[in-house]
Amino acid sequence: MSDKDHHSESITRYEPSGIEEKHGIIPMWLAVVYAAMFVWMVWYTIVFWTDKG
Amino acid sequence: MSTAANTMFGGGRAAPAFAATTGELFDRELILKYMAAGAFWLVFAPTIGAIVSIKFNYYDFLGHVSWLTWGRLRPVHVMGVVFGGFSTAVIGLTYFIVPRLCGVPMYKPRWGHHIFWMWNIGLVVGFVSLALGYNSGIEAGEFPLWVSIPVEIVLCMLAIQVVVTIKQRTEPRIYVSLWYMSSAYIWTAMNYAFGHFILPFSMPGVNNAAMHGLYIHYVVGLWITPAGLGVAYYFLPLAAKRPLYSHKLSLVGFWALAFFYPFVGTHHYIYSPIPYWTQTIAIVASMMLIIPVWTVIQNFYGTFVGGWKNFQDSYPAKFIVIGALYYLLGCFQGSTEALREMQRLTHFTDFVIGHSHLTVFGTFVIWATAGMYWVTPRLARRELYSKNLAQWHYWLTVAGFSVMAGDLTLQGMLQGTMLQAGTDFVESMVAMKPYWIIRSLAGITMDIGAVLGFWNLYMTIQHGKAIPVPSGAPADYLPEPKWS
Repeated sequence: MSDKDHHSESITRYEPSGIEEKHGIIPMWLAVVYAAMFVWMVWYTIVFWTDKG
Repeated sequence: MSTAANTMFGGGRAAPAFAATTGELFDRELILKYMAAGAFWLVFAPTIGAIVSIKFNYYDFLGHVSWLTWGRLRPVHVMGVVFGGFSTAVIGLTYFIVPRLCGVPMYKPRWGHHIFWMWNIGLVVGFVSLALGYNSGIEAGEFPLWVSIPVEIVLCMLAIQVVVTIKQRTEPRIYVSLWYMSSAYIWTAMNYAFGHFILPFSMPGVNNAAMHGLYIHYVVGLWITPAGLGVAYYFLPLAAKRPLYSHKLSLVGFWALAFFYPFVGTHHYIYSPIPYWTQTIAIVASMMLIIPVWTVIQNFYGTFVGGWKNFQDSYPAKFIVIGALYYLLGCFQGSTEALREMQRLTHFTDFVIGHSHLTVFGTFVIWATAGMYWVTPRLARRELYSKNLAQWHYWLTVAGFSVMAGDLTLQGMLQGTMLQAGTDFVESMVAMKPYWIIRSLAGITMDIGAVLGFWNLYMTIQHGKAIPVPSGAPADYLPEPKWS
C-alpha cells in the first residue's frame, strides 16, 4: 500500500460520539463529473447571458 | 470490522464503552420531549396535506367552513411540515448531536427547555392564526408577526447555543455534521428575519418576487438541506456501523452547497420580467448543485458498501438509505427543472409539487425520522416497542411516497405537454383528476405509516422492554437496542 493509500484510508475518531471517518478520496468518476459541470457552467453562462443565446 | 471497532460504533452489547467516554453531555428528557413533539407535528402536518389534496378531487370538501378552505389549510400544511415536523425533530436532535460531537454540554442548557415551549406554543398559535386567515402573504414565510418574533428569538438562541458550544468543544476536529448544523442555524436566523420582517413590508412588485425566490430557496437550501444533512451525516456511520467513506467528499459537498445554493432563487421565475442574466445565473447554480448532491450520495453509499448486513435490523439505516435515493432523484429533478426547456414544460404543473415533496419529505423528513429511530430507544433505554409497527411505518412510507412522487412527476409532464400542445387549461385540469385521486390515496397511505411509526416510538418510551443499565453508568449512558 502506498503512502497515498495509507493517507486516504487513515481513520479519524470523534469522541464521545464514537463516529469514525476515513480521510477518503474523491473517486475518478466524480472528478470527471466536477470537470464536466464546470465546463458546462462556463459555456452556458457565456451563451445564455442575454436572451440572444 | 474488528470487535473493537464494532464496540466503538455501539455495535453488539459492549455498551459500557460509551459509559467510559461519556459524561453528562445532554438532557435525555428534553430530547425525548422534542422527539414526541416532532412526532406529533409529523403526523399533524401531512394529515393536513392529505385533507388539502382531497379538495382537488372534491372541490367543496370541507369548503363551507372558512378556516378549512384550501387557502387557509395549505399554508398550515407547508409551514407545518417545514417548521412543525422537520424543524422540531431537528432541534431536538441538535441537542443530542452537538454536545456528542463537541464533548461538552450545550451552552446554556436550560435554554433548551425555554426554546421547547416558545417554539411549540409559537407553532400552535401560528397554525391557528393561519387557519383564521392571518397570513403575511410570503410563501413558506406565512406566520404573522406575533408568531414570527418569538420564532426569530428561538432561532437566534439556537444559533448562539450551537456556535458557542462548538467554540467550547474539547474535540479538536469539527465533524461535518457540525459544519452543516452551525451554518443552518446562522443562515436561518438571518433568512427568517429577511422573510418575515423585511419582505412583507418592502420591495413591491417584481423585486419582491425575486427576493421571495431567494427567501423560499434559502428555507429549503440553507435550512432544511444543511440541517437535514447534519442529521444524516451524524447517524449514517452509526447506523451503518462503518467509518464515513470520505472526509474529503464531505468538504466538497459542504462548500459546493454553500457556494452554489444562494444563487438558485430566481429559477422559479424563468421567462419573467426579472433580468435574463439573473435567470441564467439561477439556472447555472441549480445545475451545479449536481456536484454537492452526487458528492453526498457517493459518500453515503460508499459508507454502506461492505456493511449492508447492518441494514437488515436497523431502521435508522433503512430510512437513511431510502432518503438518500429520494435525495438523488429529487435534486436531479430540481436541477434539470431549472433549465429553460424543462421549465417551459413543467411550470404551473404538479411536477413542481412532486419535486418539493421528493426533497422536503422524501429526503429530509425521512432522514429526521432516521434520527428519531436511532435516538428514541437509546434515550428511553427501552427496546423498540414493535418491530412490526416499524416495518409497517417504513414500507407504507416507501410505497405511499414513491407512488405520490411518481404520480405527481408524471402528471406534471403530461399536463405540461397538453398545455404546450394548446389544450385548454381547464381541460388539462379535468384530465388530471385520476392522478389527484392517486396522490390522495398515496398521501393517506403515508399518513397511516406515520401514525403507526410515531405511535411505535411513543409506546417505546412508555412501554418498551427496559434495557438493563450497568451500575455506575452516567446519567446519559446510551444502551444498544436490538432493532435500531
